[in-house]
Amino acid sequence: MKHILQVLKFEYLNCIKNKAFIITTIILMLLILGTSFVPAIIMDMQSSESEETPGEMNIIGIINNAYDDSDLVTKTFEKYYPHSVVQLTDESIDDVKTKVNDSQYTFGVVLNSPISFTYVTKNNSLMSEETMTIAEAAKSIYRAVNFEKFGVDHERTAAILDAPVIYDTVTTGTDQTKNYFSTYILVMILYMAIVMYGQMVSQSVVTEKNTRAMEMLITCAKPTHLMFGKVIGSGLAGLTQLVVIIGTALVSVKTISMKSLPEGLSDMLTMPVSTVIYALVFFITAYFIYAFLLGSLSSLASRSEDLNTLTTPVMMIFVVAFMIVVMSMTNDINNTLMIVCSYIPFTAPIAMFARIALSDVAFYEIIISIIIQLVSIYLLGMLAAAIYRIGVLMYGNPPKFNEIIKLLKEQHKTNKAIKSKQ
Amino acid sequence: MELKAENIFKSFGEKEVLKDISFTAHSGTALGLLGRNGAGKTSTIRIIMGVFFPDKGRVLVDGKQINRNDIRIGYMPEERGLYPKIKICDQLVYLAQLRGMSSKEAQKACDKWLERMSMSEYRNKKLETLSKGNQQKIQLAATLMCNPQIIILDEPFSGLDPVNAMLLKDVIKEMIAGGAVVLFSSHQMNYIEEFCESIAIINQGKIAVDGKINDIKRSYPRDRIAVTSRDVEKISPFVLQKMSDDITDVKNDGENTVIIKMKSPDLKSRLFAELSSQDFDIDCFKVCEPSLNDIFVQYTEVGV
Repeated sequence: MKHILQVLKFEYLNCIKNKAFIITTIILMLLILGTSFVPAIIMDMQSSESEETPGEMNIIGIINNAYDDSDLVTKTFEKYYPHSVVQLTDESIDDVKTKVNDSQYTFGVVLNSPISFTYVTKNNSLMSEETMTIAEAAKSIYRAVNFEKFGVDHERTAAILDAPVIYDTVTTGTDQTKNYFSTYILVMILYMAIVMYGQMVSQSVVTEKNTRAMEMLITCAKPTHLMFGKVIGSGLAGLTQLVVIIGTALVSVKTISMKSLPEGLSDMLTMPVSTVIYALVFFITAYFIYAFLLGSLSSLASRSEDLNTLTTPVMMIFVVAFMIVVMSMTNDINNTLMIVCSYIPFTAPIAMFARIALSDVAFYEIIISIIIQLVSIYLLGMLAAAIYRIGVLMYGNPPKFNEIIKLLKEQHKTNKAIKSKQ
Repeated sequence: MELKAENIFKSFGEKEVLKDISFTAHSGTALGLLGRNGAGKTSTIRIIMGVFFPDKGRVLVDGKQINRNDIRIGYMPEERGLYPKIKICDQLVYLAQLRGMSSKEAQKACDKWLERMSMSEYRNKKLETLSKGNQQKIQLAATLMCNPQIIILDEPFSGLDPVNAMLLKDVIKEMIAGGAVVLFSSHQMNYIEEFCESIAIINQGKIAVDGKINDIKRSYPRDRIAVTSRDVEKISPFVLQKMSDDITDVKNDGENTVIIKMKSPDLKSRLFAELSSQDFDIDCFKVCEPSLNDIFVQYTEVGV
């Protein structure tokens, strides 16, 4: 136990003091501080734009080929675009196109017939809802004209047809719409943190092996202690970094961004405390599972160049887990695949976390998943130490999978023999 | 304290590297492990250190299975193993702590040994900034910091300049005087001869010869006498004439020395009497012992 603490302290301090580590942390902090100003800047730009040039910016050019009553067309469009100037024009469609292209018109509409129109725009953006609004306006004109024909008062029918419906949502479980964004961010952070810190462990193991410090260490302390100390130490260093970075993010979002964010968006960014705690718990389990795997595999490499060959399979598993979770987040988060994944140790941390954050998961399910993860952490730790033990003096090409198994068996046999002798 | 390797066998795959290796080392003495490259010295040392396990055989301390947690062992591996990118004092303290020292003791020992190695100025430097010889000294400090009862040095002299080699010699002699068991391997026979009371020569995974250096040397026929004198030119014809029946060979060895090979070692007192009866100016009269180098070559030559 004493050894674990010593190794842990040494690894932790070395990580923390590492220049690259410090620089990464500072850069990430600055990035976060920077981005937290973005909403404020955007908001500021938008408000100053509309204040400085009222009316000038938004002119909608309309060619009316459908109705005799141009006044009705103008009025209706003005109702739908209260902040724009609606300008009926006799120009040809080509003129409108040119003007739209020169940004004299924000966009142009050609009413070809009462129920068909051409929308002229410079850049059609993916999220644009302009055509829907124009269609609504056109529909409204069409209704008015036709009701008028049948002698029905348009004003009254409009009140009935367009009666606004007010609604309210009561969520009895977890509100997915509200948590989606924050969960997505957390899953992303989980994923990146595990990849980053897992690689930190494997790099550190390979360095020890490369510099032959391992041979000194292995004669001072048990491989289990070395492995656990190293993994916990690096993990704590990672956690420190995360706490610093996320702390910066929280403070800067609270003090800078929140004020300028519209209410809906700031709602999205706030997350329940329980979610944050679960994120922490699953970060820790995921970290241990992957750090042990990567650490032990790295001990089989003799040079950093061999690392990729050895660690790619593990990374693939993790990437697949991440993909499954992210894809399921937009559909049914509790689909069968996700439920299965939340009990497989390699995928459980992020799968279970996403499920908890986005839906209601029974408490016993969470406990079972965590227990499965803890047991596998213990087993993986032991396996990792055994592999590390073989890896110490293995130089040359990384061994194949079946060779590792064979060596593990041999080692187990000699260990047993030695124990029985003692 | 007594460190004993008992009938150690070890194979790597098909290749049998160690075949029945046994030897004993005692407190206050040094045992030299000799052998050509690839003879199995480092494998033997690694087995003693528990880096890997023997297929058969045991490592005993005072007759009991070695417990590496109870004994302070200083180990200097052949491939020097320290962290290049970490401050020297940090890693020395860390390794000493792993070997069971408290943080304070480790700090103290670190200062003491850096001082002893005259490396104090490098205390806060990173290891990689040092020259190879200086790194070696740091490695030695790391080995000796825990005040070890057993010291195992694999090729400690490689890469050291004569001044540093002297420093290392002094330190090792001190440790031997302090009662440590010292086991070291080296190719440099002069160092072995200087420290080691006993040697074990390993050849192709087997112990070719082991025991006290003096005993081994004495086991060679003591029938060659070296006589150093200014009157060498007169001595040669004189002995040839006087003892022609008992002498097989007389040859000059260097300027003032003649080596006389006799038929039997028992004849040396007669030779001494004959020489002293004359009025020769004799500086030295001694039995020619084989050098360690001769012994080493003899036991490790291919086919022997």
